[in-house]
Amino acid sequence: MSTEAKQAAKPPAYGAGAPDKDAFTGRNGVPLYTRNGNQNDYRTYEVYQRERVKEATDKIRPIQLISPEFIRNPYPVLEILRENYPFYRDWLGNSFWVTRYDDVTSIFTDDANFETRPKRWFYDIEDLGRDLGQEVALLTAQATRIDANVERIAREIVGGFKAGGGTDLAIEFAARLPLELLACVLDLPKDDFPKFVDRYWRMQRGAMWEPKSRQAGLGAVQELVEYFRPLLAARRANPGDDLISAVAMLDTDGAPATAEDLVITLLEQDHETLHGALANMWFQLLTHPEQLDLVKRERRMVKFAWLETLRHSAPVLTANRFARHEVERFGRLIPIGALLHCSAAAANRDPRQYKDPDRFIVGRKDLCQREPRGQYRADGLPAGVAFGLGKPSKHPAVPEDRPRSLYAITRDTATTASNVLLDVVPEVRLKPGATPALRSLRLGEMHTCWNLPVVF
Amino acid sequence: MDSITAFLSNIVENTDAKPSEGSGPSAKPGSVPRAQSLSSHDFPLMPVGQACDMGHAPDGTPLIDSRIFNSFEFFRNPYPYYRIMRDHYPVFFDKLHNCYYVTRYDDITTCYFDDEGFNTIPKGSSSGVLGNTQLELSGVEHRRRRNLYGQHLVGKSLDNRLHAIEAIGEEMIADWGNLDESIVQDRNGVRTVAIGKAFANEFPIRVVCDVLGFPKESRKKFFYWYNSMMSGLGGSETHHQGLEARQDLEDYVGTLVEERRAHPTYLYDAAGDPIGKDIISKLCETQIDGDYLSTEEITSNIALVVGGGGETTRGAILNMWYLLLQHPRQLDAVLADPETMWDVAFHETLRHSTPIGGQPRHNSFDIELHGVKIPAGSLVNMVDFSANHDDRIFKDPETFNIFRPDLYSGKLLRSGYRKEGKCSHMAFGVGPHLCPGAWISHQEAVIGSKILQRHLKNPRLNVDKMPKDFDGSLLPIGLISAREVWIDYDLN
Repeated sequence: MSTEAKQAAKPPAYGAGAPDKDAFTGRNGVPLYTRNGNQNDYRTYEVYQRERVKEATDKIRPIQLISPEFIRNPYPVLEILRENYPFYRDWLGNSFWVTRYDDVTSIFTDDANFETRPKRWFYDIEDLGRDLGQEVALLTAQATRIDANVERIAREIVGGFKAGGGTDLAIEFAARLPLELLACVLDLPKDDFPKFVDRYWRMQRGAMWEPKSRQAGLGAVQELVEYFRPLLAARRANPGDDLISAVAMLDTDGAPATAEDLVITLLEQDHETLHGALANMWFQLLTHPEQLDLVKRERRMVKFAWLETLRHSAPVLTANRFARHEVERFGRLIPIGALLHCSAAAANRDPRQYKDPDRFIVGRKDLCQREPRGQYRADGLPAGVAFGLGKPSKHPAVPEDRPRSLYAITRDTATTASNVLLDVVPEVRLKPGATPALRSLRLGEMHTCWNLPVVF
Repeated sequence: MDSITAFLSNIVENTDAKPSEGSGPSAKPGSVPRAQSLSSHDFPLMPVGQACDMGHAPDGTPLIDSRIFNSFEFFRNPYPYYRIMRDHYPVFFDKLHNCYYVTRYDDITTCYFDDEGFNTIPKGSSSGVLGNTQLELSGVEHRRRRNLYGQHLVGKSLDNRLHAIEAIGEEMIADWGNLDESIVQDRNGVRTVAIGKAFANEFPIRVVCDVLGFPKESRKKFFYWYNSMMSGLGGSETHHQGLEARQDLEDYVGTLVEERRAHPTYLYDAAGDPIGKDIISKLCETQIDGDYLSTEEITSNIALVVGGGGETTRGAILNMWYLLLQHPRQLDAVLADPETMWDVAFHETLRHSTPIGGQPRHNSFDIELHGVKIPAGSLVNMVDFSANHDDRIFKDPETFNIFRPDLYSGKLLRSGYRKEGKCSHMAFGVGPHLCPGAWISHQEAVIGSKILQRHLKNPRLNVDKMPKDFDGSLLPIGLISAREVWIDYDLN
């Protein structure tokens, strides 16, 4: 381009086409509005909405989205949203609800416009430490220890179950397994386990707006930091193959990883999928005996039962995204900083994607039978939106130097443990008279089965 | 049972959604009653003025549970919670609703004056029912539109129309004899009247219709549209009705505008001389940047004037009577000196029980206020309720006291008033977006009350018909104004 052409391309300093010196910019340099009231910059949601009288939201009251019924069983309300108001403005909650499969996955993959806020943002401790969860050394340590120990741990847990006896599968199996596994990955001294579990749960449950739990969680974060500090120093001197040693030996630009980093890394882990989905899978299998028989006959179906559970009864119901800047989506203007509830529960039961979506069918033909990796429609089939509810992995194929994805590890863990259970107590069945149900303990928490009494 | 099992079982026990289906919270004898609400978390109903326990930080600071804002407890008894916020969280970030609350008088005043830093551009602040109004503009654009009709609502033009307000009030009361049993009942020389249904609900609308220049015969239709639009504002199950009403109003205004462009109508003073065109005729001939206003814009202006002037004034009249009837000594003082004391009572009512809780703003820049970082574009709620109960400004703010020395009750000023230990209340806001209907609303409430005073001999509250709190006392005025006030008075 010649110099003259360059000068011509430069906007004039004055007059028409000159940059508006008074333009206000928000985060990321995006103009918010202009002081001179330029009509081109001024759009309102009201004008937009008024042209859509038919879209008025008469079929739902916003308070239904926080009602006890919704906490117990969100699916009926979510269906109303998905089928009538696919992009619902929740005036009471000052947020938006995205409920169709294509819409939800489009938000998840749109990192440029929508951001996730980590759990430490809820705690206002973003400066406390770093999340090292994506460091290859940590992923490797985790994968290695889980693969080496999962069967042993599952046998230890299930070994306590005696033929002719009974137990609560939700607590004694689904909730216990991930905790035992985590203690094993960290290689904690056996005596510390109960105390660690208490702190870990307090920390995870406090990362919300509920103030009492938040205070308790903040205390737990401090206690965990104090607990891990000497442990980290000891492992640094005498490393093993566990996660704490991996953190201790981590080579990060001169600043060695601290106990704070370790705790933040633990906080940001998605701890709910294994626990919640394991409980939900056994709930579904035990309440659908014909499906359980299918799985017993053909053990390879355990994996499909797991995937169908994540579709049909995902433990994490919604993932929140925040608009990085003002952006137009689904025929609406989303303001900067807006909160979007992307509902996996609704998307996973979208009849546009799945035939007869409310039915639990192990091995259904219209569900992608592997985890989403890089896309949500591998093999041309939709995958269940449940795996940590994040965007798919950056790595469409597993690179040489990385372990398999956490999704795959979690799936293998669940199938291994379930197979062990079926080996040891093949006659597992629901305790007569028991009426288990799925529910969240609190608004926004995981939706799972908390009491699953069984007999063998 | 080992310790892990016990721990996990304990977590399952402490839950919001109990596994038992369908059974609501049951009140045991002697226990604190709980509201039968749909909210995810029921908070115990407290005596008015006391906050329930939402926990404490290790240093003793009381905590705020965001779910309280959806609860019935907060709805009927909001002030103690605002006090906690003022004292401990002057800027409260509600992570559940993704918004900020500013609660102190001084902070709110500062933000209201800062038209550029805290803009009113809608981010979903209303739901399309009112339409595109100057409420959502800033600076000169806002001023220009506001001035289109603002002059009708203040000063000399308003003074010249006081006789019309008076006539409308008298006309309504003259009609009481014909009203339904459910509104007016006569027994043994005592008349029981629901002054909401019989007077306050419709009186402000009729006044506004009159100033707008709305034909008398379409008043009934207009009242229906108004009610539908107001109930449709929240975007919930009545949203559709609101949008439809708005559409009908716009269709109607469309034909009206054609008519008025050809034959403008005028307002007249008490002597019958024209004092200028009514608002609709004025809007019809108004040009902005060389363009006539569209029907859509005119409708939006009408909707805004009525929306602003209906519910609020109605609430002020009902709250004022409800509070005065509960404080007989103050009522006597008002009745003894109506010319000055109704004005004073009006201002104290607006301070004590503000009809509109606050205004949303969006900050244009990243800012830090009281140590809280607010990123640009956030929803910041200015809580007028809380400002009016700020004990940094008003001593003993929860008490209704028309004799209070620290409340300014003179002519309302855009700049607010804060001199010699007197402060103006925040019910109308301050600064560029100060309620343009403040003066006319004041006149309606005061004139309306004076008319009521003339007709109601020995007025007293009909306690039996008023809604009760859980302990049997009168229901407090919480987040929304009194819905209805039943008054007994002697006919002879």
